[in-house]
Amino acid sequence: MANVILKNLVKRFNAVTAVDNLSIEIHDREFAVLVGPSGCGKTTALRMIAGLETITSGEIFIGDTLVNDMAPKDRDIAMVFQNYALYPHMNVRDNLGFGLKIRKFPQEEIDSRVQEAADILGIQELLDRKPKELSGGQRQRVAVGRAIVRKPKVFLFDEPLSNLDAKLRVAMRAEISKLHRRLGATIIYVTHDQVEAMTMADRIFIMHNGALQQTGMPLEVYGQPANRFVAGFIGSPAMNFIEAALVRDAGAWFIDAGGFRVRAPEAFYARLEPHAGRPVIFGVRPEDMAAHDPAAGAGDGNTVKARADVVETLGSEIFVYLTCGAHSVVARMEAPERPLTVGQTLEVDLKMVKTHIFDKETSRTIV
Amino acid sequence: MTRILKAILFYAGAFALCAPPLFVFVWMILTGLKTGVQNISYPPEFIFLPTLENFRAVFQQYNFFRYLLNSLIIATLATAISLALGLPAAYSIAKYRQGKIGILILVARMTPFVSYLLPWYIIFRYLKLIDTYTALTITHLIITMPMVIWLMVSFFESMPAELEDAAMIDGCSRWQSFIRIVLPLVRNGIATSAIMSFIFSWNQFLFSLILSGPKTKTVPVAVYNFISYGKIDWAGIGAAATLIVLPVSIFAFFVRKSIVQGLTMGALKD
Repeated sequence: MANVILKNLVKRFNAVTAVDNLSIEIHDREFAVLVGPSGCGKTTALRMIAGLETITSGEIFIGDTLVNDMAPKDRDIAMVFQNYALYPHMNVRDNLGFGLKIRKFPQEEIDSRVQEAADILGIQELLDRKPKELSGGQRQRVAVGRAIVRKPKVFLFDEPLSNLDAKLRVAMRAEISKLHRRLGATIIYVTHDQVEAMTMADRIFIMHNGALQQTGMPLEVYGQPANRFVAGFIGSPAMNFIEAALVRDAGAWFIDAGGFRVRAPEAFYARLEPHAGRPVIFGVRPEDMAAHDPAAGAGDGNTVKARADVVETLGSEIFVYLTCGAHSVVARMEAPERPLTVGQTLEVDLKMVKTHIFDKETSRTIV
Repeated sequence: MTRILKAILFYAGAFALCAPPLFVFVWMILTGLKTGVQNISYPPEFIFLPTLENFRAVFQQYNFFRYLLNSLIIATLATAISLALGLPAAYSIAKYRQGKIGILILVARMTPFVSYLLPWYIIFRYLKLIDTYTALTITHLIITMPMVIWLMVSFFESMPAELEDAAMIDGCSRWQSFIRIVLPLVRNGIATSAIMSFIFSWNQFLFSLILSGPKTKTVPVAVYNFISYGKIDWAGIGAAATLIVLPVSIFAFFVRKSIVQGLTMGALKD
């Protein structure tokens, strides 16, 4: 087991910078998830760690060893590929054992390790089949098995679940988490799916345009996004962004979105001061909006009127697409007893302490 | 009714297409089975007592076994060398996108063969390699190697790159991953290109005519020698030609599926 350190890692393909000065440290036994939209450089970074891609500049350490010029086979890593990359001409048993065979392990050792991996993954019955005779989920298991028989220092996963159907993906997600606890291994997992990142990661590394945006535990990046990109990327449905101005009125700060105006919580005041009068982006997560409860009285002045344009019913909760002044937002609410009708005007409470304000120019988080 | 009509038309069309080449084939075999006199009789005889005398004569008078052996040795060597050099070449053209080198090889293949003959003859005579297996094998490579390379490039291109990535991470060097992962996966292509290059080398006439001698004469050239100043031994030519075509035809018949597959499979991904 080992930690993995990337220092000022850069990868250029001709004029395109795929990975831009990436510095991260992944701890021993950590489940690290690199997440970002496609083309953000996460897979390139992973392939550089694996040794499948040359490094333009920077350094990669695996367990204190500089591996920049080391061949993939000498890095003591295993990788699970998006399309599984099982060897089509070998049966499952040989697929699993290939890495050990090529490293000249004794046959009994190979057999026992293959059996062990097959037991862990529940693929004992499949050992004599060829990959083309397996379903997508079974292939995925074999691909994971091929990695674990090697008992490497670090596991690399490159979008391993994206070819599976939704139901299987959820099941495999839990299994990979379980596997991580069982093996106690360092895992670097690349995905574009923020749900996978949130549910599996010890720490999330969010990338955009080749650069690291934020590092943190899942709830940290959800609760305290470093910038507008992270705020919009993590969470589903995505955070609502509304162009607004900061206005001070009678000692209080207001967020004026032209069409509606809400009062900022006092805890925000100190940080809003330097941005007085400048354009900002007001960010509200759908789940931080709720239908106004008349029993609660007038509220704190953070109730806005909105028209319901579309209502999506999911059972226990609903997504409501609202028009609020000139802005369209989506709210995620508990399903009301009496169904909402389209075109209906309703009052919506914003949980102001959970909202965010971003600098419009730099996209950085103000609050 | 229309179905029967359609079937009749289909088979009539198929016969019309296949008859001309098959007719030549049949004529060749019949020539080999007739006596010299029967062969020049007019109108041609289609009902006659077949004789195997010509086949016996081909082996006894013309030392045909030797020529068959020569052809076999040269075609096998040319095919083996083409695969040994052509497979890695095709792989690197596909893998590292060396299309220009690929074109260069194609140009070498498309140049009229006659233009090679004069320099080759001079060079090989200088090296004292006229009438050797070495010279003939080398010259046949100009036919077989580009065939192997061009057939195999598309096979290698259609291989998913992740398989090799996986092999490299599993512990292979690039050579090991080529030999243990890549080659087994393109075995259809290898079979096809091997068969094609063997057949092309086996049938090659021009180079062998100029560069072979009494020791290394191949079968196509041997047959040509049946035409002498004084007479043309039609019966002998028929029998010998049948013997040349026979092994290749039987071979091709058994592997025809893999040839068709091989010629089309690399063309489409998946």
